[in-house]
Amino acid sequence: MTSTGKMGRRLEISGTLILLGLLVEAICLLWSRPIAFVVFVSLGGMLIGIGVLLFLYSLVTLDQPPNEHIS
Amino acid sequence: MPTIPIVVLVLFSAVLAGVLVLRPAITARPEGKILAFSVLFFLPLFCLLVGMDNEMERSKSTAFCLSCHIMESYGKSLHVDDPTYLAAAHYQNHRVPADEACYTCHTNYAMFGTFKAKLGGLRHLYVYYLGTQPRPEDIKLHEPFNNRECLHCHLGARSFEEGATHNADPATLPAIKANTLSCVSSGCHDVVHNVGHLDKVKLWKEAAQ
Repeated sequence: MTSTGKMGRRLEISGTLILLGLLVEAICLLWSRPIAFVVFVSLGGMLIGIGVLLFLYSLVTLDQPPNEHIS
Repeated sequence: MPTIPIVVLVLFSAVLAGVLVLRPAITARPEGKILAFSVLFFLPLFCLLVGMDNEMERSKSTAFCLSCHIMESYGKSLHVDDPTYLAAAHYQNHRVPADEACYTCHTNYAMFGTFKAKLGGLRHLYVYYLGTQPRPEDIKLHEPFNNRECLHCHLGARSFEEGATHNADPATLPAIKANTLSCVSSGCHDVVHNVGHLDKVKLWKEAAQ
């Protein structure tokens, strides 16, 4: 898999996790019950957190410029 | 901030995230990279923070606390038509905000009080969904009620500082302030919710509305 393909795949996974997290958040915001608070924080927060971290990880590990010799 | 605009923002962010998932190739262009950063970093964290704030505020509401059926009798006790019922007297006379009645008295007015109240709430949820639910009249406080929560409002108030009963014995007021004599001691303000006796009391008319 090429670097760009890998990046695209990670963006897809990251985007999917964030999308799911945001949907969980939207449902919890409309669902006014104490359990919604817990689902919002645990499930929604976890999905978004992992998605964002994966995105940041893909930024720092891919698309690096080629190594150059410093003489 | 009202809930609906937050939900709209969250759904808008979700749609943008969906676009990025379906068309990852758009990130090849500079504007696509900016979009990806916004959608995969800035917007989700912003939504999480705003949503969290909204949830925290909502969790302070009386309706939120009373949404568990085990708390129904405690909600009913706020409508008892008897001024000796401490919670009812506070609620009905707006000595506490009616829409945050439970939270106002049952939070801890010390550092991390709100955080501790939320942790206590998590324990309630555990018992409610996974544990054995006690009968409403058997529910006890996690720890004895601290006078600090009462003094948060009453300290310095004329009715408290100059009250005849509080000053009948010169040792009483300092003991209350030092939390060595509880406000809800037997013989003082000891009728609080008394949910075990609600079938014997008259309710304020608002309850029937």
